[in-house]
Amino acid sequence: MIARRRDIQLAYLLLAPALLLLLTVLAYPVGWEVWTSLTDLSPLKDGPPAFVGLENYGRFLADPEFWRAATVTVVYAAVTSVAKLALGVGFALLLARPFRGRALVFLAIFLPWAYPASVSVIGWYWTLSPPIPTAYSVFMGNVKYAVDSALGGGAWAFVSVTLFNIWRGSSFIGVFLLAGINAVPPELFECAVLESKSAWRRFWLVTVPLLKPFFALAVFLSLTMAFADLANVWMLTAGRIVFPVIGTHAYWLAVKGGQFGPASALSLMLVPFLLAVLLVLFRMFDPPERERA
Amino acid sequence: MNPKPWWRKLGHASLLLVAAVYCVFPIYFMLVQSLKTAQEDVFGNPLIVLNPTFENFEELFERKGEVRGFVGSVLRRSYPFLDWLENTIVVFAGAVAVTLVASILAAYALGRLRPPGFRWWRRAIFAAYVVPHTILFIPLYQVVLRLHLDDNILALVLIYPTLALPFCVWILSAYFQHLPREVEESALVEGASRMTAFFRIILPMSRPVIVAAGIFALGTIASDFTLASVFLLSEHNQTIPAGLGTMEVALDELLAVAGINLMAIPVVLICAVFARGYVRGLTAAMVEGA
Repeated sequence: MIARRRDIQLAYLLLAPALLLLLTVLAYPVGWEVWTSLTDLSPLKDGPPAFVGLENYGRFLADPEFWRAATVTVVYAAVTSVAKLALGVGFALLLARPFRGRALVFLAIFLPWAYPASVSVIGWYWTLSPPIPTAYSVFMGNVKYAVDSALGGGAWAFVSVTLFNIWRGSSFIGVFLLAGINAVPPELFECAVLESKSAWRRFWLVTVPLLKPFFALAVFLSLTMAFADLANVWMLTAGRIVFPVIGTHAYWLAVKGGQFGPASALSLMLVPFLLAVLLVLFRMFDPPERERA
Repeated sequence: MNPKPWWRKLGHASLLLVAAVYCVFPIYFMLVQSLKTAQEDVFGNPLIVLNPTFENFEELFERKGEVRGFVGSVLRRSYPFLDWLENTIVVFAGAVAVTLVASILAAYALGRLRPPGFRWWRRAIFAAYVVPHTILFIPLYQVVLRLHLDDNILALVLIYPTLALPFCVWILSAYFQHLPREVEESALVEGASRMTAFFRIILPMSRPVIVAAGIFALGTIASDFTLASVFLLSEHNQTIPAGLGTMEVALDELLAVAGINLMAIPVVLICAVFARGYVRGLTAAMVEGA
């Protein structure tokens, strides 16, 4: 089959630009991180870095600070993911059936994601901790004081990061799931109404299984964003990190402490977990095989 | 189905209202602030604006290096906002274009040509999302230096596509894979080359999915703040997010809010125009035969 062989060559040629981009921007830096995590490389130290094996990893496992950061990260990822999914499902179901003004409500729900987070995060930061002279600074100050005294210092900053993440993420997931619901033939929902009276049962027996690939993809994207969330935590707490997540902890070690080795080890520690989750989820959202290739 | 009782209609309507207000309120709030005079910012009601003014927006464009007033020279820095705007447009347009071209080519290869192990290729590309960006900028800086792109917006045109590429390859290749073989086969039989068939048949067919990929890319790229602030150092090379990040907020709060809106409004408008296509494209990509 000469044609098939030429097709395969063409395929590799067409894959090249995407792979080249990923190799230079991601693969090389990740390789560097893996290697560095096994050494004591530091810009503050003279001489070539020494190979220290798994010492950097081992040190963290014995470090209570690490476990604290890990706990905060897991709780943060779980809380935001669950909230985003719940709200997203709600949005999608609200928009599923036609009604007057649906286009407008759809746009409203689409907005938080479409509004660039790079700048809305700056806006959130001042809204939640405004400069002193603004008209609402007293009110926000009171809120901050109330939350901080109820949950401990710095809690308000962390709550605001969580709120921001949920606000933006639920919008993305809502629109994404709506795309899923649109694909389900309406007859299926109508049959379900005849089968069961309980809307709750119908949701679990019909909607969830039909939307499984969408749920899986949404959950994965939400988790990776939460685990790697550095920019939002950093911006909204203005660098005063009271509740470190693994990302900010690693950043702090690398930039302020110059400890590249431990910082690399720390940021890589999440990768195996995410990979495991991804391998499970792939089975759910892989495009189904329709015709034999 | 029988008509719904009035209380269910009311419940539905109020849920819609709550959802819409929840989503729009923070954006509304930022828009209102940016239209305020300094006086109203301090003494007015935070939720409404009585005397809307565009002076914050105008000031962004006026202040370029010129010192305004004596006190101003001490307290207020000037910002090259026009440069930021230009850089932002170049970076976003460039990065979205690179993302789309690279992912359409890769997706065509994976979805139509199907080299051996194409599923694993696709999975491997998607697995790029596993990489945490935490301190990745340190080795990435070495790459950028080697390419002589430090403090250059081209570095971002190169880096940004990798944020959106895996998802775009995923949905595009899923869509291409769903298309029946006959779609291009008839053209091939009549003697057209693969390239003609691609440009004349496949590409026009997949417009909604390409729109979806493009909007996803734009939304993802526009949300980056960290990379832009790390790689663009000098003032005149910054994009709007990187530049706004350097502003002295306590002094220039209104100005910065205006800057936020100036960047956000065009992005939001583009997204709104293509919103319907975005949903349609996602549906078409994820669901067989849709």
